Amino acid sequence: MTAMIEARHLAKQVATSEGQLVILKDISLSIDAAEAVAIVGVSGSGKSTLLGLMAGLDSASAGDMILDGQNLSTMDEEERAQLRGRSVGFVFQSFQLLPSLTALENVMLPIELKNDRDARRKAATLLQRVGLESRLQHYPNQLSGGEQQRVAIARAFASEAKILFADEPTGNLDAATGAKVIDLLFSLNAEFGTTLVLVTHDDRLAQRCGRLVRLVAGEITEDSVVDGVGDGVGDAAHV
Amino acid sequence: MSEHASRAAVSTATASPTTLMRVALRLLWRDWRGGELRLLLLAMVMAVTSVSGIALFTDRLERALLQESATMLAADRVLSGRQMPPREWLDEAARQGLATAEVQAFASMVFSDQANLLVAAKAVSEAYPLRGDLRVADQPFGAAYTDNAGPARGEVWVESRVLPGLGLDIGDTLYLGDGEFVVSRVLVQEPDRQQGGMMDNAGPRVLMNLDDVPATNIIQPGSRVTYRYLFAGELVVLDVFADWVREQSDGGFRLRDVRDESQEVSDALARGESFLLLGSLFAVLLAGIAIALTARRYSERHFDYAAILKTLGCTSNQISAIYFGILLSLLLIAVVVGSVLGWLVHEGILLLLQSVIPIALPEASFTPFWLGALTAFICLFAFAMPPLLALKHTSPLRVLRKDLVAAPLSTSLPYIFGIAGALVLILWYSQDVLISVILVGAVAGVALVLSAMSYLLLRTGSAAGMRAGSAWMLAMSAVRRRRRQSVLQVLVFSLTIMSLLTLALLRTDLINDWQAQLPEDTPNHFMMNISDSQVAGMQSFLQDNEVDANPFYPMVAAGLLTVNGAPAPHPWDDDDDETGRSTMTERAGAEQPDDATSDATTETAADGSARPQRVENRQVTWTAQLPPDNDVVAGSWWGDDSRPGRVSVEQDYAERIGVSLGDELVFRVNEQEITAVVDNMRTVRWDNMQPNFFFIFSPGTLDHLGATYLSTLLLEGEDKLLLNDLLRQYPTIVVLEVDALIEQIQSIIAQVSSAIELIAALVLVAGALVLLSCVNATLDERFRENAILRTLGAGRKLIMTSLLIEFAFIGLLAGVIATIGAELSLYYLQSEVFQQTFSLHYWVWIAGPLAGTVIIATLGFTATRKVVNSSPLAVLRQLSA
Ligand SMILES: Nc1ncnc2c1ncn2[C@@H]1O[C@H](COP(=O)(O)OP(=O)(O)OP(=O)(O)O)[C@@H](O)[C@H]1O
Ligand SMILES: [Mg+2]
Repeated sequence: MTAMIEARHLAKQVATSEGQLVILKDISLSIDAAEAVAIVGVSGSGKSTLLGLMAGLDSASAGDMILDGQNLSTMDEEERAQLRGRSVGFVFQSFQLLPSLTALENVMLPIELKNDRDARRKAATLLQRVGLESRLQHYPNQLSGGEQQRVAIARAFASEAKILFADEPTGNLDAATGAKVIDLLFSLNAEFGTTLVLVTHDDRLAQRCGRLVRLVAGEITEDSVVDGVGDGVGDAAHV
Repeated sequence: MSEHASRAAVSTATASPTTLMRVALRLLWRDWRGGELRLLLLAMVMAVTSVSGIALFTDRLERALLQESATMLAADRVLSGRQMPPREWLDEAARQGLATAEVQAFASMVFSDQANLLVAAKAVSEAYPLRGDLRVADQPFGAAYTDNAGPARGEVWVESRVLPGLGLDIGDTLYLGDGEFVVSRVLVQEPDRQQGGMMDNAGPRVLMNLDDVPATNIIQPGSRVTYRYLFAGELVVLDVFADWVREQSDGGFRLRDVRDESQEVSDALARGESFLLLGSLFAVLLAGIAIALTARRYSERHFDYAAILKTLGCTSNQISAIYFGILLSLLLIAVVVGSVLGWLVHEGILLLLQSVIPIALPEASFTPFWLGALTAFICLFAFAMPPLLALKHTSPLRVLRKDLVAAPLSTSLPYIFGIAGALVLILWYSQDVLISVILVGAVAGVALVLSAMSYLLLRTGSAAGMRAGSAWMLAMSAVRRRRRQSVLQVLVFSLTIMSLLTLALLRTDLINDWQAQLPEDTPNHFMMNISDSQVAGMQSFLQDNEVDANPFYPMVAAGLLTVNGAPAPHPWDDDDDETGRSTMTERAGAEQPDDATSDATTETAADGSARPQRVENRQVTWTAQLPPDNDVVAGSWWGDDSRPGRVSVEQDYAERIGVSLGDELVFRVNEQEITAVVDNMRTVRWDNMQPNFFFIFSPGTLDHLGATYLSTLLLEGEDKLLLNDLLRQYPTIVVLEVDALIEQIQSIIAQVSSAIELIAALVLVAGALVLLSCVNATLDERFRENAILRTLGAGRKLIMTSLLIEFAFIGLLAGVIATIGAELSLYYLQSEVFQQTFSLHYWVWIAGPLAGTVIIATLGFTATRKVVNSSPLAVLRQLSA
């Protein structure tokens, strides 16, 4: 099976007033289709940056990033946007719903952008799947954080993406709500057979993924199969 | 549709234009409901409304005025001259499809069996009048009705006054030259009563049939007759015909319209138009600023949208397409709503003005709507497009890192677009380089002064803040923290206040000027050709009849021969085309029966060669009292203790002939040479329809040279009958009746004044909109800041006071700059465009800054009070979402 996501010697540095700041150095990582990978690390270790690079939201300073068989490093932002539209879904810590659109319209958006006439029905089905069938016409600011994140999850799966990137999806939620949201995320992930890349501080959450990648100061210090949940897909290897 | 089919329909192709448009429309609709777009749309609607409304109004008013003025001519165009223009021209005009008529006017004595009277005779062809109506009555001073047929052959229509003057009744016989006529009607009103030379109006009117003229033998070679050909028809045809005439006559004859005929009317119209233009320019400019501000705020709020859309797979171009779609829809709505509102506004004005514009207005053309739409389009592209298109540069990474700068795009780009757009708008719209230059100069000047001034003031503000109370400190640090924004705010506020001040002051000055020009009690009759011995008698006659007498000015024709020994130059050589100013006095005096305007004498020039010098005769006077509306600007008025041999010269005229104080002028008056020294210079109100003189001599200089006297009277309605008694007692005097003309000018001025008031009000609305959007533009940031301040423990009162101080300070700054800007632009506008004399408006120097402080403080405080009144928690939650 070919890798769905493959990073080869990926590096990222930015120019700051105090000179070059190295955020990521020499990251190599391969994630297969339908795998669930947790990226963990302390704050500032470069998790979000890595996620952004893998998802094609940003371009690397060096190295290659191959997503769904296509090399992001050779693509411009327009092409990457199209690739995102086709293959990638997101869930963010701060939900990132469009505040002026209703829950239904937020979920409809990625479906519509694929010129699908059936957007309304599909979106309603997904919202029903995340348990928000009675909140279709509500605006984000009328929903609680957990509900907003469920809408965001519905939207992420609405695009029928092959890969789902989630950056601390429970970071803004209390433990109980967070757990519910995570249950939902994993069950949908299994249902759709999506590849999941999840950034988190939360060790218990990380345990639910089949594989754990630890970042320390921009480098991978650990890449291991997680016991108990592992389905045998991931490579267990210490770096 | 089955799951399978729909899946098949989902190609890998990216979002189609229709999809993007659907998304755009949904965002538009949702943002509208959320109130996001209201100010932006309002600003655009305002731009369309003001432009189309003003254009509609001016379009229709302009045509109405032209139509009304056409009745002043009894035609659309008039060709006139002392010689009869070629007859074939009438045929040519008819061939081109114009209606034509012919008029001959001359002064003549008419007789009855008992008496005689000098009348202004006018012979007209069948078709006369082409425009307007002849109003007649069957009794002197009887009820008037319309009869446009004109007198039949052998009949005359006469003004009421003629009948008692000659001791005649309707049906009696009147003699004119060798002709014998039955008086069949009383003439109450003719549309072109005031046209032609003043001599054509010296005395009451006798209207006769053109075909009767030859039989009277009254027109001999050398007789003073004014020939007029009248034309009416489509504007395009008239223009074609005018060109044809110009070619035929080598410029000797010219088709005139009302603007050529009445300096007063054309001045009022020209100034009114300039004002309307300026007003709508300001309105558009302000609306443009409002659009720019609101669009900027809208786009700032949409950076997150753009980032999220990008994570969902939208490319930059698709994001541009979405926001382009939103703008285009906004434009469409704004154009439709604005056009409807513009129509309503102009209908509203017309309703208000019904009493002043009694005539039915012609239908409006479609041009104003195009103008409005085009303006909105340009505004949109110049002001709203740049910030919205900057959205496409949003990094999608923003979804992960909020702190990423919103617009990597250079921030000066939108301004460059805006400035270029404004320039194009102003130039295209005004088609008037002068006004454009002044306007652009004013704006640029304000921006420049502002940058320097606010930089300095904001700095000193910090120093003062250290010593003052903490609310002041908080306010000043807020101003400095948002220095860029504060400067922008001061700029916008001062531009707005400047526009409003400029228009308000200009409006007041114009209207005051007009009221001073022709006040209600403007004398409307000129009495001339009064001999020295008649003056005292006439004065007591007027007193007996309780009519206010005005000064009697002695008047004599004087030709300026030399200035300090050198031949006098001619300031205005072309006396037929009236390129120079001609006063009522000149017009009247020049037409006195035996008085030629200029004559040729042979003078020996300085170089010894003999050549004929044309001497320009001016009607001059002498007096000890400075006439009203005259101001001495150099030297001093001689007053009662004058010495003979002094002359006072009108300033502009003195400049043209190169005369200064102390120069020695030699005049020829009645074949005698008179020497006088220039004692002072005056300015004169030429448009007040009163006796005005280029030269006024000191008493004793010309007294012996046989002057006649000139005076004026205010006679209205029945009082006019007094003229008969007066003329019976003093049959040799000449009375010019200008009451109809003055009334007409007053009515046109009233119309233009109302239009001006309205435009000023419209601009006020536009200005308020700008102020509002400018205050709103900083609202988000204020919410966040004040929430943080309050969580840090700052009290409500402290924050409120500091808000008040902040806005008051910005308002004061804007008020001061606006006042300077307004006075400066007024100076250029009044001296270059409106031909008014500029004087500083002292009260504005207090009122401007004060108004700026109060208005901005109130507005800003009211708008931001909710910042303080909402709970900090709610604010922080709202903003982080
Ligand atoms: N564009 C940038 N400019 C400057 N510094 C940056 C930029 N992007 C990231 N950084 C820095 O790189 C480091 C890693 O950032 P990143 O957001 O990836 O951390 P993280 O692991 O996601 O942390 P957290 O758990 O707090 O979200 C941080 O110190 C951050 O300040
Ligand atoms: Mg992070």
